[in-house]
Amino acid sequence: MADKEFIKITNLTRKFKENIALDAVNLTIQEGELFGLVGPDGAGKTTLLRTLAGLLGITGGEVREAGFELHKNSEAVKSKIGYMAQEFSLYGKLSVLENLQFFGEMYDVSPAQQKERIPGLLAFAQLTDFTDRRAAKLSGGMKKKLALACTLLHQPPILLLDEPTTGVDPVSRRDFWNILNDLHLRGTTILVSTPYMDEADRCSRVGLIYEGKIVECDSPEIIRNKIGGEVIKVVTHDWQISREIILPLKGTLEVQTYGEALHILVDSADKRINTIKKTLQKNNITIVEMRVIKPRMEEAFISLIRRMSKTN
Amino acid sequence: MSFRHIWAVVRKELQHILRDRGTFMLVLVTPTIVLLLMTYALAVDIQHVPIALVDYDQSATSRKFIQQITAGDDLDLFVNTRSIEEIEELLTRGKIKAAIIIGPSFSEDLLALRGLSLQIIIDGTEPETGGFAVDHIGWRAESFANDILADQILASGIPLGSLQPIDLRIRSWYNPSLEPRVDLLPGLLSIVLGFPAFSVALTLAREHEHRTMEQLLATPITRIELLLGKIIPYILAGLVNVIVIPLIALAWFNVPFNGNFLEFLLLSVIFLFAELSMGMIIGVFMKSQSAALALSFLVVLFPGFFLTGIFFPIAALPEMARMESLFLPGTHYAIITRGVFLTGIGLDVLWPYAIMLIFLGLAFTGIAALFFKKKLA
Repeated sequence: MADKEFIKITNLTRKFKENIALDAVNLTIQEGELFGLVGPDGAGKTTLLRTLAGLLGITGGEVREAGFELHKNSEAVKSKIGYMAQEFSLYGKLSVLENLQFFGEMYDVSPAQQKERIPGLLAFAQLTDFTDRRAAKLSGGMKKKLALACTLLHQPPILLLDEPTTGVDPVSRRDFWNILNDLHLRGTTILVSTPYMDEADRCSRVGLIYEGKIVECDSPEIIRNKIGGEVIKVVTHDWQISREIILPLKGTLEVQTYGEALHILVDSADKRINTIKKTLQKNNITIVEMRVIKPRMEEAFISLIRRMSKTN
Repeated sequence: MSFRHIWAVVRKELQHILRDRGTFMLVLVTPTIVLLLMTYALAVDIQHVPIALVDYDQSATSRKFIQQITAGDDLDLFVNTRSIEEIEELLTRGKIKAAIIIGPSFSEDLLALRGLSLQIIIDGTEPETGGFAVDHIGWRAESFANDILADQILASGIPLGSLQPIDLRIRSWYNPSLEPRVDLLPGLLSIVLGFPAFSVALTLAREHEHRTMEQLLATPITRIELLLGKIIPYILAGLVNVIVIPLIALAWFNVPFNGNFLEFLLLSVIFLFAELSMGMIIGVFMKSQSAALALSFLVVLFPGFFLTGIFFPIAALPEMARMESLFLPGTHYAIITRGVFLTGIGLDVLWPYAIMLIFLGLAFTGIAALFFKKKLA
């Protein structure tokens, strides 16, 4: 009974008129995975999640989800999925409790089960004190947590979350991810898209989507290492000139700017760090800070995307 | 079909109607207010139109004529002058809407049965009022001339009874008796009950606009469950109007209600189902509330005025419009309301219209369900 390949996407293509939003996507997600979907804006993250939620028709390819063939009957699978849209999409005129009850009814959760599960979900989403507040009057973070609670009431085996933490303050963001980790531990299969690389780092696997294709798909650690080099962080009194100086040096693969800091991607830190230091000093540039750092998802992501757009 | 799904949507919509002031007004208050406004606008006549008089005759007859012209509430004598220049100025300044010039041979011509030497000048910038003044002056002048004529005939010794007078009665379109046009009120119901149809269109468009449609479509609810859940609350809200409006009609305008009220409620539910499914079709196609509103005016309200036979007889419409009027629920409901209110007929006579309304309702709902996809694009 247990289908290990819980979501299996084969050659999934979706066109909007002449626009190819998803281009022969292949992706398999195992039961119980916490899968992160990253990619630049417009890469196809939302289209992929909406398609998996049965909200968009399929132009080509096949999708199997929780044992259902989505490409044949997109309605059958809906009761197995908890989908959370990117934008707030609950009823502002209804209270927190009424929203929960409404979606409980939509997913055929019996009144007895609702009564049993709702207090837990409210506590889980830290909304117990706001049960009777209209959804429109909630803060951004609370809205997101309510939306998540609404998708959890029917205890779906699959959760599809489209940028659930966008526009949420860091504290709420951390709360939200604690909730996701909890669900992950309970065995829910979660597919979450995010623009935040630190969030991608918390997933068991990450897929990088670019121009409608999954271009990388691996654990965060492996993706970080795909950067193919090491990162030296340099802070000087003038990052713009420093950048111009460092870029042509031998062994420099890429320079990314983070505020005043430069993250220099080099083939080998040991070999290049002294050259960079000397060259900067020769040009009368004061080095405030210089050290080798571990490549993060962020550097890897930017580097991979840059390589993609160069090859195109 | 899951009644739990339908009921959940119905309950949510009812909560929305009660909590959203705009929807509440549109569904529960607007129909009654518009009906009152329209009844008054149509019922009350133009009154106290200021006119000027120039009397070149200055005879007893002309003075009697002036008295008769200004005897009613319809025309008010603003000034009696001898100056044409003054009249011109008053007309340009809008102080008077019409002027009557009594010719020097007025009484002479009248007594010699040569007709009335009268000139009427009207303010052409307000054709409605001007036309009204011409009608009323003509009407009063005619009865004045007839009276004089009768006096003449009697004076010459011919008994009136031996004549066969032409019995010409002008039935004024303008309702000179100032009675409210009670016969129009029942028909107006079919227009004002179009407003709940607006709301059905708006409620579907709103789900798109507020992005709630995305979340809703991700649930296992079926299309027909969702559409029924969307229309039922507004049928219920429409029914509130169906109960309130006859009470106002009875108490305020003394409109008779001769039919059976329960049968009327049943027929009204059937009508609301048909009328509101038009709103449903609009809501299925329009993804924004403003577009849905504009189309509702175009599809629901305007044809309600022009094609349902309330103001303009259907027989007088061009063939195409006549065909269209058959597909408007309002056409059939106007017949039903007039029949129930004024004639007192019931289902035994009106059943064919009920069947037509059921047919229209099912057809419209079918079209809406056919084009409503549980997809975002």
